[in-house]
Formats: sequence, C-alpha cells, structure tokens
Amino acid sequence: MLMQKIVNSIQQVTAELGQAAIWLSVLSAIWGIVALSIGLRRRKPNYLQSGRNALIATFILISVATSTLIFGFVTDDFSLRYVEEVSSAAQPLLYKITALWGKMSGSLLFWLWVLTFCGGIVVWQNRKAKDTLADYALIPIAVVELFFIMLVTGILEGIYNPLERFPNGLVAPDGQGMNPLLQTPSMAFHPPTLYVGWISLTVPFAFAVGSLASGRISSEWILRSRRWTLFSWIVLTIGITLGGHWAYQELGWGGYWAWDPVENVSFLPWLLATAFLHSVMIQEKRSMLKIWNILLITLAFQFTILGTYITRSGIIDSVHAFAQQSDISWYFLGFILVSTAGVIGLVVYRWRRLKSANRLESLLSRESAFVLNNWLLVGLTLIILWGTLWPIVSEAIQDKKAAVPEAFFNQVVIIPGLLLLFLTGAGPIISWRKITPNNFRRMFLSPIFIGLIAAVISWPLIAFSANTAVVPVDEAAVPADEAVLPLDEVVVQVSNDPQVGTETTGNIFADIWNFLTLGEKTIPIYSLLCVFASVFVLVAIFNEFYRGAKLRAKRQTTNFLKGLWQLIQRNKRRYGGYIIHIGIVIVYIGIMGSKGYFQLESKTLQLGDAMTVGNYRFTLLDTYQEKHGNYERLGLIFDVEKNGKHVATMKPARHYYYTTGQGDDNTIESAIHSIGMNDLYIALGDIPSNIRNGGFVNVQIYHNPLIKLVWIGIAAMVIGGLVAIAEKQEFKPRTSTA
Amino acid sequence: MKIRRLKVLAASIIILTAMVLLVVSGIRKTSLRHYSPADLIANADTADAQNIQVDGVISEGSSTWDAANFKLTFAVREREGTETVNVIYEDNLKPDNFNDGGSVYVEGRYDAENNSVVATKVQTKCASKYEGVDSAIDMESYE
Repeated sequence: MLMQKIVNSIQQVTAELGQAAIWLSVLSAIWGIVALSIGLRRRKPNYLQSGRNALIATFILISVATSTLIFGFVTDDFSLRYVEEVSSAAQPLLYKITALWGKMSGSLLFWLWVLTFCGGIVVWQNRKAKDTLADYALIPIAVVELFFIMLVTGILEGIYNPLERFPNGLVAPDGQGMNPLLQTPSMAFHPPTLYVGWISLTVPFAFAVGSLASGRISSEWILRSRRWTLFSWIVLTIGITLGGHWAYQELGWGGYWAWDPVENVSFLPWLLATAFLHSVMIQEKRSMLKIWNILLITLAFQFTILGTYITRSGIIDSVHAFAQQSDISWYFLGFILVSTAGVIGLVVYRWRRLKSANRLESLLSRESAFVLNNWLLVGLTLIILWGTLWPIVSEAIQDKKAAVPEAFFNQVVIIPGLLLLFLTGAGPIISWRKITPNNFRRMFLSPIFIGLIAAVISWPLIAFSANTAVVPVDEAAVPADEAVLPLDEVVVQVSNDPQVGTETTGNIFADIWNFLTLGEKTIPIYSLLCVFASVFVLVAIFNEFYRGAKLRAKRQTTNFLKGLWQLIQRNKRRYGGYIIHIGIVIVYIGIMGSKGYFQLESKTLQLGDAMTVGNYRFTLLDTYQEKHGNYERLGLIFDVEKNGKHVATMKPARHYYYTTGQGDDNTIESAIHSIGMNDLYIALGDIPSNIRNGGFVNVQIYHNPLIKLVWIGIAAMVIGGLVAIAEKQEFKPRTSTA
Repeated sequence: MKIRRLKVLAASIIILTAMVLLVVSGIRKTSLRHYSPADLIANADTADAQNIQVDGVISEGSSTWDAANFKLTFAVREREGTETVNVIYEDNLKPDNFNDGGSVYVEGRYDAENNSVVATKVQTKCASKYEGVDSAIDMESYE
C-alpha cells in the first residue's frame, strides 16, 4: 500500500520531468552545433570541448526522458496518453517495456535516444584524437538529433509528445494493450535492432559530411567510421532476419519474405550499406570513387530516415495514403531534401579536391568487379524502391493507380541477384588493374569447372525433388485449386502440379527430357545458374583460404590448421569478408529451395482425417488445450509419417487472448518441425468448439525445402562480420595485387 | 585512353538499359490496377475479368467463414462510403487481425456481373501499424 502511494506520487512528476528534459535537450543540441562551429572556425579548443559536452548532455537528457516513459509503462501510468494506447495492466513486463517503440511517438523517442547514445560514443572514441575530423562529424549528428528532438517535443502538428498526459487530469482505467501478434520475443527485438542498424549509419554519414566540410579530403573519414559501418551492417542483417523469422513463425503463411513495403524499406539501407562497404575499398586502395562514396553513404543515410518515416507514419497500411499523412510526410521529406541538398552543395564546393587519382584501366579487373557490384546493388535498391513506390509513381505518371504484387519483385531481382552471387566469388579472385591469362588460369578455371559439374549433377536432383511432389491419386481428386496458388510463384505451380512427371510416352529420351524439364518444357534455368554460381563461389573462396593457409604453414613451418588460424588473424577484414561471402551462398541455396520448391496443401479436416504433402502423411489425432497468463492455447495433434513410419508429432495451435487491444482476439501459432534442412509447417484456421463432435478445421501444410540454410547462412554472415569488425589495424593503401 | 573510356561508358549504358528493361517488362507483366470499391464499381467494364487490387474496410457483419468448404466470403467497403464489393477467398486461412471495420487489401480477379473478386491474396492491416486508431479518451473534444 505504501509502495503504491510512493509510486503514485512519483508518477505525479515523472512525465513533467521527462518533458522538461526534452525541452532542455533542444537547447543542448543547438549549443552543440553552435559551439562546435565556433570552435572549429576560430580554433578555440574550449568551445570544441563545450560542444562535445553538449552532445553528452543531450544524451543524458534524452536518457532521462526515456526512463520516465519506461517508468510510466512499468507502473501502468494510464494518465499518459501514449502508455494508455500501447500498454495494459495485464501485459507481461517485457512487453510493457517493448511497448516503448509500439507506436510512432515512443519509437521516435527511442530512435532519438539511440542516436544521442551514438553521438556520445563518438565523443568518447575521439577524446584523444589529434585532429578535428570527429568534431566536424559531431555537427551533422547534432543536427539530426535536433530534428528528432523537434519531432518528439510535440509542437509539430500530427505527432504528440510521448510524455503527454490526458487533459484535465483524466486517467484511463486501463490501457488498450499491444496487439497480441507483437507479443513475441522476435517482434520485441526486431524493431529496436533495425533502428540501431539504421541509426548507427548516421555516424559514417556524419564523418563523410565532416570530411567535406573540413576540406581535408582523404580517406580518413572512411577509416574512422569503418567499424561503425560494419556494426550497422551486422545489426541490420540481424534485424531484417528477426523480422523474417517472426513472420515465418507467427503469421502462418509459411514464408519469411513477401516484399512488403515495410520489409523493403528495411532492406534498402542494407543493400546500400553493402555497396558502400565494397566501394570504400576501392577508394582506400586506388584512390578512386571518392564522390561516389560520399553520395552512397548519403543515400544510405537518407534511406534510413525514409525507412523510419515509412514504418512509423502508417502510410504502409496502404502506400496510397501518402497524401493523407501530409503533416508528417512534409517533416520527413523536407528533412531528407534539405540535408541531401546540403551534401550535394558541399560536394560541388569541394569538387576539385575530390577528383580521382586513378581511372578504371580495364573492364576485367577487380576495380571493375567492385564497380559492377556497386551498380548492381544500387540498381537493385532503385528497382525495389521503384516497385515499392509504384502506386504513387503510377498515379503521377499515368493518372491511374496501380501496384505491383510480390511477383514483380521476384522476377526483377533474380538476374541482378544471380550476377551478384557470381561476383561474390569472382571479385575476390580477379586481379587488380587488369586480368591476366595467368590469373584467369590459376584462379578461375577450377571454380568454373567444378561449378559446371555441380550444375549438371544437380539438374536431375532438382527435377527429382520437384517431380516427386506427387499427390497420391485418391487425394489428387481434390487438388489444391489453381486459384489458390499465388499468382506469382511460377516455379511452384510447376512443382505443385500433381501430374508432373508421372506420364510416360514410351520414348526413353522423351521421358528423360520430360523429367528434366519438370514435365512442362521448362528448364529450371535459374536454379541451375544458382547452383553453378554457388559452387563457383565456394570453390573460389576455399581456394583462397587453402592457398593462404598452406603458404603460411610452409613459411612458419607449422601445420595447416595453425596456418589457417594465423591467416585469418592477420587479415580479419579480408577473411571475415570471405566468411560473409560463404554465408551469402548458403542463404541463396536456402532461398532457391524454400521459395522455388515449397509445397503447399490446404484441406478441411475432421478428427481422424489425414492429408499428404510431398512424401509426408499427416493424420489429425486429437485436440488439446492449455491455459497461459493472458491467453488460452487451443491446438491439434498431428501424427506425421513418411513411408508408413512415424517421423514426428506436431502440435499447431491458436492462441485466444483474454484482453486485447485493437488486434484480433486470436492468433495462429504454427507448428514447425525440421527434418535436416527442410521444414514441415502447419498452420490452422479457427478451431471450432464442436471439433470433437465432427466439427471442421482448416489446415494448411507446407513443406519448405532447405529453408534452414537461410538462417544458417545469415548466422555465417554475422560471424564473418564480427571477424571483420575485430580488425583494429586500419587499411594501408597499397596498389599491388592483394 | 579514349577507347578505354568508351568501353567503360558502353558497359555502363548496357547495364543501365538492361535494368530499365527489366523493370519495364516486370511492371508490364505484373502491374495490377488499383481500385477502391467505389472506383471498381464505376469502372466495372474495364476491370471485368482482370486481376486487380482493391482496398477498403471489411464491411461490418459481412464476413462468413465456411469451414467445411474452406471458404471465406466478405464484403470490402469504401472507406468513406457505402459501396461494397464481395470477396471470395478459398483454401486459404483467414488472416490474423481480420476484424469488422478493419483495413483490408485484396488481390484477385474481378467478376463484374456478380460484383465480386475471387481473391488470391487477402491482407489485413499490418500488425505493427495501428496508427490513427483513436484513443479510448477522445482527445478531439478537448481541443
């Protein structure tokens, strides 16, 4: 009781304290900009120090504001408008805290808090720096901070202060609660991870701008921000994956990526950061692409702002609603336009100092491979952006609204995607300046040769796995309706056809051809190219590891494994990168299997019924019921057999929530069972109360081949990233072959 | 020197053209006209038997779920109006967050005669997005 009273009396003042902190941070951010500018202009170290302190102060103030809001959540302070909208008393503590980024106001505050934290770290990292580059970089950081501070103050139309109280001392009896779909661990951590990835890209951007402003144009800004870029890339990789993993586990549609606008905007900065990580190597080694690098990091930064805007403003509901969100749109678009114009102005101002020292010497060289990699990554970014914004673009240019479905993205990314995959292997082994016949023979022949063999061997395997997706005759009578198949999954339609590969013509060659072309006269050309490129890359990169390790083992007279260890130790950046490349290959194979060859069956079942998917037979044995904190779990028990042998028991369910916000009152809880790299996946419709008395339940079962490789490959990418980020020693410019 | 720069230029142009072609052909093949329910009814002739997109809200009380036949039927209503288009969605689970009055987005083939869409995709408002849902306490009345 006493405790409650104390909490209540603290609640009386916390929000006001937080609001005061936000307003004070306006002053500290402005002072940071002013003091640093004066300090740099007039070379006054005490002004510089004051400016740096101002950034620390901003961080402390925003930390206070964020803490007071979290306090509001934890203590169920429903006099706060924001707390009332995203939390409720019954919500588990974890989700009370993650409600912080549940909606726009709070997530902007969280965004701001992470940015001020990054600002603080930059100050700390450069406390002993001998030059003023970091001080130049702090100014753009403070400007971005100021923009977000203005957004959370609540003075702008359309966004309210997250610490705002209801008027006239009103207190809501309870909150509306968070959507149950979001009350899962991966959804709790997906948005903040993505934010941290986006926000940390501000730092390399700020260093680029700082370098331009200082006029001392060199590659120093790249070196100083290299770890930030890598950090951001790693975190973005994890964040995007958490989102896909959440969709796979929670949404019940058996997939992890659907080219939804929210997914796209999280992917675009990742693509650009990837391009940037590559192109800076060219600047470091060959002093080329200086302007390009600055523009690239600027673009990547602007896409993080665009992403924040798109995911937080609500225009995603329907991309058609751009105009309806006019106030918020103008703040963000205005900021993007003004800051981009600023950077372009600086680039023009410094144009003469930015000219490259070298030019491309040959189209077949490592430089060209990097440039092509950049063209493809930036091209993909623009293509995906174009598709995402097509509803708006089409209305503007054709005067009629249109949109592109998933199929558009699946079609357009495949060729650039495969070229990029090939470059993942070709880039690291092609020589600088110009390819030589010797380089080609030594490095390229064996990967190409082994890749081709792998493609040839895999063709019958691919055809076999697609062709064995045969539904037994009795069940083929009720095949999955054509209309059910998504419009786009071209390959899937092929592999889902129950008749495929079962007819014989009597002519053995025709039969073989029929088999290889999946019975539809379609050569699975993309799959074969994917296999070729993947094996090519693996061989190329293993060669690199093998040669290097052997050489080192010979020179140091140690064994091969020690040589390998030393090799990675001595050049973590390079070999970390190679590990990432191996991860990419694994992801590609996983995508090929799971996107191209999944099987889906939809059926209505009663207790005791069975259905078949691929080689697996699922029998609905029983139902079950469990009570949990704020929901009840109702589920079905399936027995899974392969060739008459029991392989698994699967228990898909639905959760029925007692208290809910605006969301549904029940959610699909898919059951996933992995066999090797493949998943069996069951999703359910509503479970009727009469299920034990002949009631019907709707079931969708997926067989997702190789899907585990997607997660494994991404784990390898993250590990490679961590190896690369461990390298402290910055790159020394060299011009010879690496 | 000059020839080398020409080569680089030519390669760039080829890549650029290829990408543009890719996008143009992708859009031509897959782009779907987008309608609101009222637009769709007004343009029934051109939209008939076409794959289209329609978005609006789930008309209150219109949805029925026929479990035995694995079939969802409902009407999508104009956001600020009364026009509705019927939707038939078979052999697919009802998406989460499917509630009366909620935002919905449908892809499928339009049949003008019956004013209905045989849907291949039904998507409800994305879970993380429920901005604009009014607070329990009406702020407007205080302003």
